[in-house]
Amino acid sequence: MDSTPSSQPPPDARYESFVRQFVAREARLRAFLRTLLPAWEDVDDAVQETSIVAWRKFAEFEEGTNFLNWLLAIARFEALKARRRHARSPLVFSEEVIELLADEGADETERLEAERHALTHCLDQLGPAQRELLERSYQPGVKFHEIAAQAGRSAAGFYKVIQRLRAALLECIERRMETEGAA
Amino acid sequence: MNRERLETLVTRWSGGALSPDETRELDALLRENAEARRLFRRHANLDSALREWADERTANSPWQTIPAPARTPVIRRFWPLAAAAGLMLGALAWFVQSDRGTAVPQPSIAGTTESTSQGCAMLSQTLDANFTGPPLRSGDTLMPGTVRLASGLAQIEFFSGATALIEGGAQIEIVSAWEARVVSGRVRVHVPPAAKGFTLLAPGMKLEDLGTEFALNVEGQTSAVHVFEGEVIAHPSSGEQQSLTQGMSLSRNASGTTQGGATADQFLPVNELQGLVKQREAQRFSAWQDWSKQTRNDPRLIAYYTFKHWNDDRWDRLINNFTEPKRKERAGGAVGARWTQGRWPGKEALEFKRPGDRVRINLDGTYSALTLACWVKVDSVDKKYNSLLLTDGYENGEPHWQIYEDGSLMFSVMYRPADVPRAAKDNQMYYSKPVFTADSLGRWHHLAVTYDNQSGEVVQYFDGREVGREVSKLHQPGRPIVFGPCEIGNWGLPTTGHQFPIRNLNGAIDEFAIYGSVLTAAELQTIFQQGRPE
Repeated sequence: MDSTPSSQPPPDARYESFVRQFVAREARLRAFLRTLLPAWEDVDDAVQETSIVAWRKFAEFEEGTNFLNWLLAIARFEALKARRRHARSPLVFSEEVIELLADEGADETERLEAERHALTHCLDQLGPAQRELLERSYQPGVKFHEIAAQAGRSAAGFYKVIQRLRAALLECIERRMETEGAA
Repeated sequence: MNRERLETLVTRWSGGALSPDETRELDALLRENAEARRLFRRHANLDSALREWADERTANSPWQTIPAPARTPVIRRFWPLAAAAGLMLGALAWFVQSDRGTAVPQPSIAGTTESTSQGCAMLSQTLDANFTGPPLRSGDTLMPGTVRLASGLAQIEFFSGATALIEGGAQIEIVSAWEARVVSGRVRVHVPPAAKGFTLLAPGMKLEDLGTEFALNVEGQTSAVHVFEGEVIAHPSSGEQQSLTQGMSLSRNASGTTQGGATADQFLPVNELQGLVKQREAQRFSAWQDWSKQTRNDPRLIAYYTFKHWNDDRWDRLINNFTEPKRKERAGGAVGARWTQGRWPGKEALEFKRPGDRVRINLDGTYSALTLACWVKVDSVDKKYNSLLLTDGYENGEPHWQIYEDGSLMFSVMYRPADVPRAAKDNQMYYSKPVFTADSLGRWHHLAVTYDNQSGEVVQYFDGREVGREVSKLHQPGRPIVFGPCEIGNWGLPTTGHQFPIRNLNGAIDEFAIYGSVLTAAELQTIFQQGRPE
């Protein structure tokens, strides 16, 4: 099989297989890269780089083995590459921390996906005003201080509100998973 | 591990506000402590899940919550072959197909003409409503735009599920299924859970409904809101948003926002509209009954069916002829067709849906003119010919009255000279202009046709208005009109082993009158006015 990217349509079965698997794993890949990089813009770039490299190397991937772990290994490498490009930025983590976060994180997929699932339930437990606040704050490209200014609150106070909401959500997720695990 | 401190830092990291010092601090915390790293990964996971959720929620909601910065979708689809975007789309299209489990190629956009509508709400009920501008009737679909109700009451049902009761005079701008603007007047809104997020704009504030019932009164630049039930978030154009719950009210004018200012009794209770509408319907029904009792004495009537359902009819299939004096032999028998509600609650109708549904009648006599008139609710014009009244055999002198596939009314009378072969087209055919369109389907309408065998003129009416007038080229004066065995709502008594064309009406009929004379335009206008549902 030709392993080099080709611009010749139509997509063959292998390409389709790749797209299927990639799309199914993209959310997890994004969350994984989020631990390693300082901002969402960096994450978006790294996701794209990862997809290109993964497709290029897809011929080496053994069908039947763990696609996600293979993808995360590529992503880990891409994150370190990005870190080196921004080595002088005061906002990146050290290489050591990135490697620790990546290596340990690769094994947590199942749990983290269960947490995402539980989150839907926990968001429903919040009041409508709290949900709207989160919805506004987590719009792509939005900075918290902008939302704070719109709501007429101090940035520090606003961060406290978000911090409490996040902690409450994680706690709810934990409880939810315990009861589900017991059931 | 200092969890509190870690979470403070993580929140700042999440908001994109981590300073270089804080970055170093977080880096150190994470390096030292595996538990901190685990917590941090959970936060990052939460972060990305929240971002997706917020993006989806906004994409699915009609209102813009933020003065949008350059938004990029969260899931920026990857492009391994970025240049070959078309290829990627091809691949996704293939997925869509295969996911549906069909190998049938999807029709190209150019190859299909699906009817579309920009409607986003429906005028569901009115009471003495006078609209400024184009006249609106209940059942009309409303496009984005302004509704000016000079007087009376109107109920609008938004496609999102929200319902608004408007008291005239009022001016409402419908923005979408999820949003409306009250320029002036009193509006009461009910928002079921499915329509949560429905937004009402008023001078100086935006009201977001969280599944509830509330009312708004706008006079000049002053908006007053009162919450009957549930919760409403009020976003004043300046100042903090406020949550209003049951019994609370808020008013807003040029000088600012104040609590109170509106009370429940300023607004018409919704059940009052229902009550008034019911009362009005009962009045109309009773007025029609009075008129109907008189009209049945009209000597010109051959048969008059009001589709009254007799509870003591053991067979439940009797369609009485109500002409006076009584002509019981002209009573009809329902086949298949089921009882349903007619123009008003309490008024019955027969519904024709299945190929077998029909009412069989047998009318004796020979006539020199006729008028056929009925109240019908057509649900769909889905066959080539859709029956109103057809004689069984279609022999000489027999009329056929049906709705043609293009929505026009079609009347014909058969006259075939003895020396002409059967295959020749010798029936006199008359078409009205199309009257059944998306707008007139599913509502009660009055149809009528008159025919005079001397002048040969056929005049067709829709809701009391003339929609066709014609004399056939084949007309010869003086040929008699006969009925014999015939059917309302269908055609043909199949003989053994023969197939029959399917012509059943898809709809309901709740009054059918057959006269042996031509009724005048004025008379048909009166009949329409006496019987109109509202």
